[in-house]
Amino acid sequence: MRFNHLCSDAGVSRRQALKAGAAGVGFTLGSGLAPLPPIFAGMADAVAATPGKILVVFEWFGGFDGLNTVIPYGDDAYYKQRPNLAYKEKDALKLGDNMHGLQKSMIGMKKMWDEGQMAVIHGVGYEQPSFSHFSSISYWHTGAPNSGDPFGWFGRVADAIDPAGSPNFLVNVSTSQTLAVRADKHVPVVFIDPNAFARDFYAQERPVIQTLGTGTAVSDTHKYLMDITKSAQSASALVGEAWQKYGRTRNPDLNLRDLDRVAALIEADFPARLYYVPLRGSLFDTHVNQQSPHDRMVQYNSDAIWGFYQEMKRIGKDKDVAMFVHSEFGRRVPENTSLGTDHGAGNTAFVLGGGIKGGFYGEKMSLTNLVLDDNLQYTVDFRRVYATLIEEFLGYKQSEKVLQGVKYKTLGMWA
Amino acid sequence: MTIRKSGIAALAGVAVVVAFTGATLSATPGPWSPGPANWKGDLSPITAADWNYDRAAHLLSRAGFSGTPEEIARLAAMTPERAVRSLVYYETIPNPKLKPFEESGFWDPSLTYFPDSRPAATDKALKDGGNIGVMNKPEGNRSVQPTSDRFFYWLRATELETRRVGQWFAERMLDTSHPLEEKMALFWHGHFATAEGKVRDYRKMLQQIDLFEKYATGSFSQLAIAVAQNPAMLYYLDAGVNVKGAANENFAREVMELFTMGVGNYTEKDVREAARAFTGWNFDNLDFVVDKEKHDDGVKTFLGRTGNFNGVDVLKIIFEQPVTANYMAGKLYNYFVRDEISAEQKAQLGKILRDNNYELKPMLMTMFLSKDFYSAATYGSHIKGPVEYVVTMLKQLGAEDIPGIPDFTSTTTELGQTLMNPPSVAGWAQGKSWITPAIVMERGNIARDYLFPNIVSFRDPNFLTTNAGTDGQIGDRLRHGADFTQATALADPGMMGAFDMVARERDELFNTRVSGYYAWELAYRKLIPTPRGGTRVDLTEIVAGSGAKTTDQVVDYLLGRFVRVPVPAETRNSMVAFLNTEFGTNDFNRARTYAETPLRMVTHMIMSTPEYQIN
Repeated sequence: MRFNHLCSDAGVSRRQALKAGAAGVGFTLGSGLAPLPPIFAGMADAVAATPGKILVVFEWFGGFDGLNTVIPYGDDAYYKQRPNLAYKEKDALKLGDNMHGLQKSMIGMKKMWDEGQMAVIHGVGYEQPSFSHFSSISYWHTGAPNSGDPFGWFGRVADAIDPAGSPNFLVNVSTSQTLAVRADKHVPVVFIDPNAFARDFYAQERPVIQTLGTGTAVSDTHKYLMDITKSAQSASALVGEAWQKYGRTRNPDLNLRDLDRVAALIEADFPARLYYVPLRGSLFDTHVNQQSPHDRMVQYNSDAIWGFYQEMKRIGKDKDVAMFVHSEFGRRVPENTSLGTDHGAGNTAFVLGGGIKGGFYGEKMSLTNLVLDDNLQYTVDFRRVYATLIEEFLGYKQSEKVLQGVKYKTLGMWA
Repeated sequence: MTIRKSGIAALAGVAVVVAFTGATLSATPGPWSPGPANWKGDLSPITAADWNYDRAAHLLSRAGFSGTPEEIARLAAMTPERAVRSLVYYETIPNPKLKPFEESGFWDPSLTYFPDSRPAATDKALKDGGNIGVMNKPEGNRSVQPTSDRFFYWLRATELETRRVGQWFAERMLDTSHPLEEKMALFWHGHFATAEGKVRDYRKMLQQIDLFEKYATGSFSQLAIAVAQNPAMLYYLDAGVNVKGAANENFAREVMELFTMGVGNYTEKDVREAARAFTGWNFDNLDFVVDKEKHDDGVKTFLGRTGNFNGVDVLKIIFEQPVTANYMAGKLYNYFVRDEISAEQKAQLGKILRDNNYELKPMLMTMFLSKDFYSAATYGSHIKGPVEYVVTMLKQLGAEDIPGIPDFTSTTTELGQTLMNPPSVAGWAQGKSWITPAIVMERGNIARDYLFPNIVSFRDPNFLTTNAGTDGQIGDRLRHGADFTQATALADPGMMGAFDMVARERDELFNTRVSGYYAWELAYRKLIPTPRGGTRVDLTEIVAGSGAKTTDQVVDYLLGRFVRVPVPAETRNSMVAFLNTEFGTNDFNRARTYAETPLRMVTHMIMSTPEYQIN
């Protein structure tokens, strides 16, 4: 995104600059301004508050157990409430506050913590929590708990920072479109299998298929469909091309889960600024014998995040790419009778990379003053985290335009 | 299944209409004819002089699910007023093809008080010696296994049955003689959104569809009260926990924000007070009940009125607000006409609704007869929703039934809409949000699956796979002689799955992992199967009946039949070139004996155009 940066400093968008340059108006291209990669030629670029920043949301659906992920080994109440499921102090990778440690297999994320590139946010939740996976995740997706919004918060971020609705601005690595990315002005690039993001047709049909989306539009909607038909051809080609190329450059020792698709697109300089990646399946949705699957999930996810961060370093984007990790809710404090935990409320969330000021944020939740039937009382409304990402990281200072008119206090992660 | 006669028989039917009206008409699709730009915003009615085949096609595509050229010609032969009236006042029109839902028979009264969670189910079984219709084993390992099995049985059963309910609902859209009734039922399903994924009872969803059809174009205020007392809605919006002294605001908020008034027209205090009025509302099995003990009968102040209000009073006060009629008029306008509406038009339509005591028919008549509805601004502005897309496709093809390959629910889900499972209480965002780059391609791919059933890789979605970590893997192992331990163990520690390695053979009361599989089997023993046939239509016969002789005429007929927005000449000409190559001639009759596959390919390509996605 280096082009974008230079041009925006001059108050001129890349598209304008290129137009000016092409028309020979005398706009001097800076020496840092390399030619456009051919695959992006002709594409509009987005004008945003802080150019070049890329936000990735990695959603851990199913309700991960925050207390057995960031372990409060210094809190006696933890051991009282979870006689069988609690981790011992020696099984915690300590985070230096004599209170918290990461579950022992989360070595990858611990390295990011040690580099100062991980924020642990305590007590993230909302008022009147829903204990339904689907209701709660839709509250997170819309940013409108106990309410509704036809568009997702991430989609609204795209609309706010890029009102022009530039193509390929918002990516959703998912089998179906996640509610969070539903946008008014943007067409999210939704795919899961880069090799299957394609139009199927018989060979004889090819000449006709190639004409789709050409011609004159009779309505705005028609134009929109024509544009998407064409951009689908181009996005699928770009994704396919980026994916093939990435197969040659990636570090094969890293298991990135679906984050490899994001890494591939970032390495290919795909124009997207926002990536939303829900973990496939509700794999954290366990209620019995929780420990083994939970441990494995956090380990794999932690490895994937560390691997992704390594890839961003290799590509030279580690300071420009931040990741937000959350679930729809946490778990109840006491373990249940099946060596598991049940749907809860307040939970831990993580923000990683992007030059963040690592450390703890938010107030630790009390494990003794429980509310709503053995639940943690949240201390940080999740929309404060959204506002922090929007304002401090993406640099768009009017987060209230995304968050239903409410100005949430940011957490100071990049302050 | 019989193939709908599209040729001479249908034309004969049209001839009757011709004789009746005395007008000249044919079933030949007419050209795209949007009204003048200055009709935009004009709610006065069009006249008979403004009426033609294309306007009738526009009406039927918006107020219904489009139709065959013969069906459109029938509407075109009427006056516009009569055509719209036949759609809006449909009650006297016979509707012989509609079928009631045939239940598989999953439910029995022991499932009436179905537990909220598996732990709740097994805990109660431990206490009482059994639960939800099954007893614990008197001795031996896994004595509570029957209750665990039974709990998952109902979850699986209602999930399987819900797919059938969705397909049955779509079948009604295809079969009905009252297209607007079903189009409105689909609207209400998205407006009063509840999801079976949370409700977990297909019977309650069926009740809702009945309500949505019953009140489809009837009284909105009566429908709103009926929905507020509908078990699916009561469960979906947590009525059970809305009790005196601890009001839950979920329903009270949604009823104002999403169902009637729109955000910004009430205060948080109104929400709290309304929640109090709804306290104690609940359901018992499929019936609405009020628990007087849990109802707060104190004085409430709501939207400026004070009194000892109950839920119905609150709804009545909401319907006294002018904003309510305007909100609903606007939402219906967005669904049927355009994505945007001016404040002035919204107020005009809202007034009609209010003046008619929230009876929808007069407003719908005005809307569908208005110059605005036929204006250039409205033409081609609507993106078909996924269900609308598939049903319209099948209707235009003249299919008698929803085919089994591809699977209906799977195809609309791929495109972003699953009947009985809207994504949130806000329903489906309409319009542009239906379209993503992957979905615009997928729409073409799915059209091809309907025209060329994929008998190579089709999988019945009701069947399990043996993928690692799935219920099917457990079943596969059990069928190969594995015990519970082996069946639920992780064969390859490198593989992942939520429950891998967790259910080690041990003394235990139950094994939920095995229940997870076995419950599918239990449900399957009762499930009425979904026939898996392809789309049975005969395009060759249809084209022959149109009188098309050359490949030019064939392509123009098919374009006219399926798509209203003009397809660019380049695409159209390349389709003609394609047919010339495939036919080996430009003479349709010469190629007739082998024309079906090329004709299906042209239809697939038409359905892949951006133009086909809109109307």
